[in-house]
Amino acid sequence: MADHSHRMGAITRKTAVLAFGFVLLAALPGIAHLMDEPFLVSTFSRVLIYAMAAVSLDLILGYGGMVSFGHAAFFGVGAYVVGILAHHAAEGTTVLGLAGTNLAVVSWAAAVLVSAGVAAVIGALSLRTDGVHFIMITLAFAQMLFFLFVSLEPYGGDDGLMMMGRNDLFGIDLSDDMTFYYLCFIALMAFLLLTRRLVDSRFGMVIRGCKQNERRMRALGFPVYRYKLTAFVIAGAGAGLAGALSANHTEFVSPDFLHWTMSGDIMIIVILGGIGTLYGPVVGAVVFLMLEEFLPLAFDSVGLEGLKEHWRFLFGPILILVVLFARRGLFGLLAGREARDG
Amino acid sequence: MADLILDVRHLHKAFGALAATDDLNLGVERGEVHALIGPNGAGKTTLIAQLAGELTPDDGTVTFDGRDITALPVHQRPHLGLARSFQITSVLMDFTSLDNVAMAVQARAGHSFRFWRRARAERALRVPAMDYLDRVGLGARAHVRVSALAHGERRQLELAMALALEPRLLLLDEPMAGMGPEETQRMVQVLKALKGEITMLLVEHDMDAVFALADRLTVLVYGKAIATGTPDAIRANPDVRRAYLGEEGGA
Repeated sequence: MADHSHRMGAITRKTAVLAFGFVLLAALPGIAHLMDEPFLVSTFSRVLIYAMAAVSLDLILGYGGMVSFGHAAFFGVGAYVVGILAHHAAEGTTVLGLAGTNLAVVSWAAAVLVSAGVAAVIGALSLRTDGVHFIMITLAFAQMLFFLFVSLEPYGGDDGLMMMGRNDLFGIDLSDDMTFYYLCFIALMAFLLLTRRLVDSRFGMVIRGCKQNERRMRALGFPVYRYKLTAFVIAGAGAGLAGALSANHTEFVSPDFLHWTMSGDIMIIVILGGIGTLYGPVVGAVVFLMLEEFLPLAFDSVGLEGLKEHWRFLFGPILILVVLFARRGLFGLLAGREARDG
Repeated sequence: MADLILDVRHLHKAFGALAATDDLNLGVERGEVHALIGPNGAGKTTLIAQLAGELTPDDGTVTFDGRDITALPVHQRPHLGLARSFQITSVLMDFTSLDNVAMAVQARAGHSFRFWRRARAERALRVPAMDYLDRVGLGARAHVRVSALAHGERRQLELAMALALEPRLLLLDEPMAGMGPEETQRMVQVLKALKGEITMLLVEHDMDAVFALADRLTVLVYGKAIATGTPDAIRANPDVRRAYLGEEGGA
């Protein structure tokens, strides 16, 4: 039954929605050009970056049942690694005995590794708890890191750290918005392919089993802690890469990247798009960031300037409606019953 | 000396002032079906939890196949050959029956740090899983999500998962719980077919099923084993009649 819909070649509603989404995102710079709204390309680079962070959260939240409320920590650490290395490259100084760098390959790999390391430490401690305790302890760790960066005066403290430009990726000009957009696009697609394979692999089946019934998984002989921690680290690495891209996008990093509201935004994107759907977070990122962009303008144009700053005032009810009436999120509305993976 | 696959010595477990397991001794011989009976509150489930590793005994030892496993973590026991089924059905509800059993097959097939190949396309997992489903009579329901299975079917699935671990000792915690007479009869047949192949420690309230399956019985009352013996010896034991069988109107 469920197996049939996965059979190769069958064009289901889900594959149609995915194909449409893929084409839309692939053609976005062209569409933006036709609409004469070139700024959309940069806006959508941000969408793709947030989508990547949200997909990485969905991996542990939707498939592993780990409600991590500190995902911004890994996003922010990834961004700071890029920012700090660029800062030292500009100053010609070293950090921990290492020279700074503007090379994307080095800098982004470092961002991924450091985020994964931070996730390993936070995960190793947090995963000894569960339920509300897990939510609170991941939040607490993220806030600790937030205050650490606030107090790091050499790297701008509260004000953050400016970069002198984007990283150097094999001489490709990333300062061009269209080039940068396609870089983010490729990165997101690669990450989606990776996570898709991951959740369907033996490893993925184990973490999905843990979400459903951890006690049973233990009784079957699975050391569940190890598997959950590994998933947590992979998710942290993914968020770290998204953070590295984000630092390049804005050419700026600040403690706000790690603030708990950022963790909240990532989680809202996952819930809005559809928990445990993998592709839903991409839909969630598009809708969330578009609302953030255009709701204030909409308030403005209907003469409600006072509400401009408070666009979330209208966003809140929208989120509540989605949670109440679309249990598989917006992706579930689009793709139907097969949206969510078992 | 009898060849004991499971040897429980002087086991104690108290919850506050209540001794749920009280200086309990129990030996399960290799190859037998050993039934554990006793009135409600006798400490059967507490004992199973200690054998499965979910509860740590206050005192005493549990020896499995010559190895002291008293303090061994839950997840390591199935790998030694000690598997269990749960009294309250404990399966993976969002998966299909086949997924559930394949998960058990996977548990036995080395580590699962494999990140690329689709597990649902692996014949090495799916084919044996299908065999176990057939064995408990659930083959026709392989592709149905567990949340859509009837209670009796979930009990069968529970057994298939335990069998897929290829245990040398199977702890069955009330496998017939909540089943109708026909389903119970079918389950008895399935277990009978496994007799001799797998050693079983069976906790069960259904006395007909117990006497149909068990080679030996141990009667538990207030956390103590008051008698162990063949079904006939247990039936004839006056202590047992007074403490247990009498209350239920005889067997």
